Amino acid sequence: MNHKLVIGWLYPELMSTYGDRGNIITLQKRCEWRGIGVEVKRLDIGFDHKLLTTCNLLFMGGAQDQQQKIVAEDLQKKASTLKKIINEGIPGLYICGAYQFLGKYYKEADGTIIKGLGILDLYTENPGINHPRLIGNIIIKCHPEFISGSQSKRDSDLRQNDNEGTLVGFENHGGRTYLGKNIKALGRVVKGFGNNGIDKTEGAIYKNSFGSYLHGPILPKNPSFADLLIKLALEKKYGSPINLSPLDNSLETQARKSIAKRLSIEL
Amino acid sequence: MLNSLIIFLGKCISLVSRMLNLGSGSTWPGHIALNANKNFIKDVLKNNGRKLKIILVAGTNGKTTTTKLIRSILQENGKKIFENTSGANLLNGIASALISNADIDGQIDKDFAIFEIDENTLSLILKEITNPDFVIILNLFRDQLDRYGEVNAVSKRWADALKKLDEKTTLILNADDPQVASLRLHLEGVNVKFFGLNDMNLATAKAQHAADSTYCPNCEFKLSYSAIYYSHLGAWACLKCGNSRPKLNISTSSVFPLLGIYNRYNTIAAILLAQEVGINKNNIISALKDFQPAFGRQETLDINGKKVQIFLSKNPTSLNESLKTISDLKAENLLLVLNDRIPDGRDVSWIWDVDFEEIVSKFKNITISGDRAYDMGLRIKYAQSIIHDSLFIIQEDLEKAIAMSLEKTPKSETLYILPTYSAMLEVRKILTGKKIL
Repeated sequence: MNHKLVIGWLYPELMSTYGDRGNIITLQKRCEWRGIGVEVKRLDIGFDHKLLTTCNLLFMGGAQDQQQKIVAEDLQKKASTLKKIINEGIPGLYICGAYQFLGKYYKEADGTIIKGLGILDLYTENPGINHPRLIGNIIIKCHPEFISGSQSKRDSDLRQNDNEGTLVGFENHGGRTYLGKNIKALGRVVKGFGNNGIDKTEGAIYKNSFGSYLHGPILPKNPSFADLLIKLALEKKYGSPINLSPLDNSLETQARKSIAKRLSIEL
Repeated sequence: MLNSLIIFLGKCISLVSRMLNLGSGSTWPGHIALNANKNFIKDVLKNNGRKLKIILVAGTNGKTTTTKLIRSILQENGKKIFENTSGANLLNGIASALISNADIDGQIDKDFAIFEIDENTLSLILKEITNPDFVIILNLFRDQLDRYGEVNAVSKRWADALKKLDEKTTLILNADDPQVASLRLHLEGVNVKFFGLNDMNLATAKAQHAADSTYCPNCEFKLSYSAIYYSHLGAWACLKCGNSRPKLNISTSSVFPLLGIYNRYNTIAAILLAQEVGINKNNIISALKDFQPAFGRQETLDINGKKVQIFLSKNPTSLNESLKTISDLKAENLLLVLNDRIPDGRDVSWIWDVDFEEIVSKFKNITISGDRAYDMGLRIKYAQSIIHDSLFIIQEDLEKAIAMSLEKTPKSETLYILPTYSAMLEVRKILTGKKIL
């Protein structure tokens, strides 16, 4: 059977400041190299909310403040559709600004509150201009129940191999995110700041949606995570367990190890 | 009196640091001067009155080349010039330049001071140099988000700082960069001149992914372009508020001494400035004909009979343009060097905003080096339509990488080296045995 995925890229024009396009490239290539058909739908300002329901996998990146305000306005109009498909378990990766949007609110440095979509039980506050941004290389160890709620709970690559449950990236954010009771962290910070620099949590998992502050971008250096997203999307679409054919990840592994080595962490 | 002492001590420090080859002689004296007297820059300039003309060159890309172009034109036309050392773009670099060019009484026997200014420093400099004679703003691209912050925040700080200028200053702006051109909306009384391109043959077919300001800086409506020259630079207009590319005072030249569209902008900016200074057109052109590139900016070196050309590539736009320029030269041998030190920006995510996809297959051999060689390796791997392992080699050790890539370059061909900033300094040090800065 020829599998095919539709990836919805939310606001590629505005929400792609930190090289997060690399996540789309990685998903696309890792599908193509396996003979899985891919279509990337670019969902820019003013897109028809019904397009969301035709997507098997969603991605949204971060941006500059001015851009985020333009997007916030547009996204509120699509909030109910997005909430519906996230609750149905359509997998998605939401980085930095996108991750913050999914929460209840974002409090800016000057105290202004920007309403979030309220899909994830979390909120973000910028403590003000006198507090430094959280910047640097980061390594996190993923939650043991990384993909709870998905059909592929038992055979996740990430769980089989402990080492690959470690994610490597670069963070750069002023906002501090705090998780509520109804949501799990994506992982624990081994090196770096994570959600808020205090509680050692990083990112969030809700159903098949993943929020994170990791740029780098996150997926090229964490190919198991990329494959997990592809697998979840295919299983959701086709309703049966999927085993992805293996790809040569040796360059990816070397890239991960070279960062870990610099941070004196063993991978 | 205090300033004389500072200048004397500063000269001593810089002499000693040069003798001991400490390599930081371009910022230390200024650093100490500003600690001793925070008004040092202001005092020295005041002391010299308006006979010393000040030119500030700001922007993300092209500062060093534009500064060198201006210096060449002015010098060839008999003007006495000094400038801050390239890379020493902060207040301490400027203070150091004043120290080395002033006599003990603080007098500077020059006609022009040309200072390249960092994105973040422009507002600070304009507090010290309140009435510069000329300010050139070349462009604003995303670069080192970890250090400078985001493009919109930078342009807002610039607008606030430029507001304080008056009719003593001529502001030279890139009309094709919407963020830069829109700075004019906040000004009163300043003499503003614009440079930009007007040649459809140079326009690109589609927008590059790394483009930054495609939204109107005035009303945030999406901009329309009738021509895009590179990144977000082009003939733009906002159909909502009517903000559009201002009328150009210069759009071309009979001589462009450097390759690439980005250098056309640098060249016409320098010419426009020279015209404003009052230099005659023919004299400007003849000075440009003899122009030699600044170090690492298309600089050509001869290494054991093989030609090496270095294209500093420090952010998505600059790497995109370097790749486009060398691909027009039918380049086949490439060495990419990616570092993530403070001068490079610690976040290397930006390499994924570079459009490698249509270009990688054109090279016969690609070598990759630097602190983040593996990140660049992954970028190239994912830029290929089919996995083709032999396309590139990763060698973290820069010296070995240079030797390997030179060896693979045939005698009659050129090795093109595209390094980030700190990598460029290292590459030059290895190739020439000389240290800069």
